[in-house]
Amino acid sequence: MKFYSRNITADSLTGAVFALEGIRRSAVIMNAPTGCKFYHSAISDNQYPRQISFDPLNYPETFYFGQPRVPCTYLDSYDYVYGSKDKLNALLDFIHGEDYALVAIVNSPGAALIGDDLEGIARAKLPHTPLLVIENPGFSQSFYKGFQDTLQALLKNLPLVKGLKKKNSINLIGISIFNKYYRGDIEEIERLLKLCGIETNCVLCADTSLDDLRRIPQAALNVILYPELGLDIARYLEEAYGMPYFLFDKGLPIGFDLTEAFLSGVCEKLYGDALPTDEGLKDQQSSFTMELEKARVDAYLHLSRIHSLTGLPRGVTFSVEALSSSLYAYTDFFLNYLGMIPNAIDHIKDDPCLFTDKLRTLLEKHHLEQGLHQSVYEAESDLVFSNGSTIAQLKLKGHAFSGIEIELPSLGYIDVFPKTHLGIKGSLLLVEQILNGMNFS
Amino acid sequence: MKEIAFYGKGGIGKSTISANIAAALSLLDKKALQIGCDPKHDSTRLLLGGQQITTVLDYLKTTNPLAYRLEDILFHGFNGIGCIEAGGPEPGIGCAGRGILSTFELLNRLSLKKHTYDFILYDVLGDVVCGGFAVPIRREYADEIYIVTSGEYMSLYAANNILRGIRNYDDQKKRVAGLIFNQRNIQKEIYRVEAFAEAVGLPICGYIPRDETFALSEKAGKTLVEGFPDSPLRDTFRDLAQQMLTDIPLYEAKPLTDALLEEAVLEIKKQPFSHNIAIKQPPIKENTEVIISSEGIDIQNPNGFLSKNIISQEPLHGCAFNGAATMSVHVKDAIVIGHGPKSCCHISYQGISSAGRRNLFERGSLLPVPIAPNLVSSMMDESIMVFGGIDLLREKIQEMKKYHPKAILLLSTCPAGIIGDDLSQMEAFSEPGLPVIPIATEGNLSGDYLQGMILSYLTIAEKLIQRDVPQIPDCVNIVFEKVVAKNTTQNFSVIKGLLEPLGIKINCRYLCETNVSEIQNFMAAPLNLLAHKDYMGRMMEKFFQDTYQAVFLDVPFPIGFYESKIWLSKVASFFGKGTLINETIVMHEEIFQREIQRLKPILKGKKLMIITYNHQIDWILEVALALEMDIVKIGILNFSQDDLFITRFADQFPLVENYDQQQRTEDVQTLKPDILLSNYTSSDLDPCVLFDTIPYCPDVGFLSGLVLAKRWARLLQLNLQEGWRKDEVLFQKYYSR
Repeated sequence: MKFYSRNITADSLTGAVFALEGIRRSAVIMNAPTGCKFYHSAISDNQYPRQISFDPLNYPETFYFGQPRVPCTYLDSYDYVYGSKDKLNALLDFIHGEDYALVAIVNSPGAALIGDDLEGIARAKLPHTPLLVIENPGFSQSFYKGFQDTLQALLKNLPLVKGLKKKNSINLIGISIFNKYYRGDIEEIERLLKLCGIETNCVLCADTSLDDLRRIPQAALNVILYPELGLDIARYLEEAYGMPYFLFDKGLPIGFDLTEAFLSGVCEKLYGDALPTDEGLKDQQSSFTMELEKARVDAYLHLSRIHSLTGLPRGVTFSVEALSSSLYAYTDFFLNYLGMIPNAIDHIKDDPCLFTDKLRTLLEKHHLEQGLHQSVYEAESDLVFSNGSTIAQLKLKGHAFSGIEIELPSLGYIDVFPKTHLGIKGSLLLVEQILNGMNFS
Repeated sequence: MKEIAFYGKGGIGKSTISANIAAALSLLDKKALQIGCDPKHDSTRLLLGGQQITTVLDYLKTTNPLAYRLEDILFHGFNGIGCIEAGGPEPGIGCAGRGILSTFELLNRLSLKKHTYDFILYDVLGDVVCGGFAVPIRREYADEIYIVTSGEYMSLYAANNILRGIRNYDDQKKRVAGLIFNQRNIQKEIYRVEAFAEAVGLPICGYIPRDETFALSEKAGKTLVEGFPDSPLRDTFRDLAQQMLTDIPLYEAKPLTDALLEEAVLEIKKQPFSHNIAIKQPPIKENTEVIISSEGIDIQNPNGFLSKNIISQEPLHGCAFNGAATMSVHVKDAIVIGHGPKSCCHISYQGISSAGRRNLFERGSLLPVPIAPNLVSSMMDESIMVFGGIDLLREKIQEMKKYHPKAILLLSTCPAGIIGDDLSQMEAFSEPGLPVIPIATEGNLSGDYLQGMILSYLTIAEKLIQRDVPQIPDCVNIVFEKVVAKNTTQNFSVIKGLLEPLGIKINCRYLCETNVSEIQNFMAAPLNLLAHKDYMGRMMEKFFQDTYQAVFLDVPFPIGFYESKIWLSKVASFFGKGTLINETIVMHEEIFQREIQRLKPILKGKKLMIITYNHQIDWILEVALALEMDIVKIGILNFSQDDLFITRFADQFPLVENYDQQQRTEDVQTLKPDILLSNYTSSDLDPCVLFDTIPYCPDVGFLSGLVLAKRWARLLQLNLQEGWRKDEVLFQKYYSR
């Protein structure tokens, strides 16, 4: 039998849960059996640790089942017949729902078929607490849809405060605690924006307070980071609040060139044709340029040394498995900057393929379009950029390569120090990982 | 025995008619049972003198599964007629269709059909709105179907919908007996019903006129047959009952299109609608032969194979789908299809593969099953939830056959169970050398994670193990390894290392990294070695002993010196190789004693307290006692996986079973242990206590306990508080999440 079940990616249920788990001081309740709860609690806690211990004394059996996050109503067959009202009421009492900034309730797919009035039950118990109920989390729909639908529901549900527009202020739209390096991504992009004199008003939605969310309309611009996680939200905010948005036409700020283009694009969108004449701001922007140039020098030093010794990384083959926005950006960096050759450029399942056409054009320019038709499982590359599951499966198949993780699930490395593949720091990390992953013999 | 279902629009009089027919059958000396499938639970009221009875769903809610008895829900009314009510939720709450499914599952488990009834009558609520209410028309229940209708529009609409539901299950099979016309005396009623009957090709088996005698008998809490023996209507029911005694012709369900029904029968002239809207029709089923699951092991036996969670009526830990998926993927040359939304398979896949990924990362081990579980999802979407997912599942099976697996295992999720998708039909897609094996987990509707493991173990055994395989000498099966534990591979290597010098080979690891052929040849091994003798392990041992007369070593994989010595002696003795083990035992005994003497100066007299979920800790206690440590308390916590604490050191220490975690802080303050062992450490306990962990699944072998004792000794000698611990103040100060 020749069969490999590829990694089964998350769907809209997980998208909904992780959209809400990204909010500080939120209680995200699953109206669900414990089977749906354990995984979401474990991943949320791992990605966004908020508790210092796993001592079961702190997380009792009922509702929490020994885990710090995502209490659940532990539905069983009786509840599917009689409804979940009693258990939900008991849970809301137990967790003291009124102490949270937001109480969110997400139905599991099974519970969604029953049609209990969760909103009515919870509202009676928590008349004054911000409340969001996701009655239908979707059935086999994509993670990205679940994530964006949920956040749009939340934005519609919250009273957003229009207030005064903050000049030079943006919202970073489209990032999740389900992104492997979300902490590093946010830190780096905020840092680079700051170097350009731009303040971040709100990040939607990872480690974000409800107050920050309410202030969303006060930013001058919405900057989309991961388009699959933010484009629909940005369009909604444009329609509902007249907020302009910036969608980077090259996917993500990966690599030195795209980082520069991303920042230029944001500045241009924010300041329009009239780029700021303010001297202070000019200084700040030049400090960005200087840092970028210094980083390129660091990379150059190492690349030049290795190249002189081995001729690499030019000609090193690589495979990438990711969403099209990431595929485009990684491929651009590896191909145009490092001279590496793409063997397989593989879209993950459920990809809305926002950048596939652009990616094809990029590859065609170098007569490499066959990479788009090659599965990461079939190609034998020197370097594989993918999730831990695919990397492990390729090892099992006997492929000889270095695996560089770019998405969840992870092989298991615990990141204490925030890392990123975005921006200047991300470009340097990628160069470092590639140099260490190449085969020199 | 004949089983008859009565369907019809709500309020049309099904209960009255079916109860009167039941009464008439009983007067013809036939033993009848009426099952009410309506949340109103008043179907049998007229047979019981107006009394209401305990419904099956109420009973399920309040009764321990081990105490289920048919007599608690089966009542007897007029002329000995059996009466059962399914019951259900209040209107607008929960899912009544799911309730019907649960009811029939229980009646199956209680072997209702072994009771010798001549007739079972199902009185089913209204229209066929979902898979739950369709249960009685599935083939294993109703032999004949009667549709009760009046000439009212909505009643005929409902009758036509019911025919659609029947066609979905039967295709061209003939099971419909006809219509029973319950007259309402409205205009053109007879014309409409007769036109409908002609259009759908069904006879009108009975005309029930509108008559106040019905109201009078209902007021008396009786059927008309019982309460008004002289009424001419009694003859009508007697005639219907007599008809049911004979082999009357049955008919195929041929529903009308809505347009035909409205124009030809109801004479409704519709105004043309201004928008052209394409309406998606649900997929028409192909003609597939349905086979009923073969007679075999009664894996639903409530007194047999239920998890501790279910029996104890505790909150369910995990879901059966996930438990079954985790085990089933260990049949390496099979493909496992999870019938449900993608999320269910995503969760299971990540759970299974996390151990594989981590083992690769930490130790470079490539474990085939955890890294690449052969699990796929049928990807049920919103429309499938409405129209049913059997067609989708069939397509997925055909798709997977292209990969030439040796078996296809099907698991169902909660949504599949709730909408009533019946996996057993899929056995029909088996081929020679390719069994299709449904495991009806239904998410957590059948129970918790462990119940799913049980279902998987039992069903795969039932379908694959061949009983007539000749025995092979000097080989063993290994049963019930914990596939998600971190040390499963390592423990297997240790066991293999102990067996190899004796010339004993492994025949099958059930169910761990095995394949269809090894399972089929399970009976070749003369001896079975149980890996863990906890609640599940004991159950598996009993299952294989009772069903296959399998011979088991009476002790599980050994943990610690004493157990290893006994285990090895017993295995060697079974195969007549006792003399080969002496050297091994002597060698380990020397190591054990030497280490004990080395550690004793550090650990002797130290106070040891243990609070744990583990129910077998003799491997720790033997070391602690050999070191002359002072065991001040053992607290055993309630654990979903076990309920039997066993020790050979009873009375040598204070023991509290079902230990209350809240007691811990006080106990630590009072008893002042030097070492506190638990499954998790805590940061809020007395820093003077050495707090260390013990694993849920300990390493097997002679030295397991010693390894821990060496660690305690080293940590006690260190006698320091790590610098990072002092930063808790900073954490409280700066951490804002």
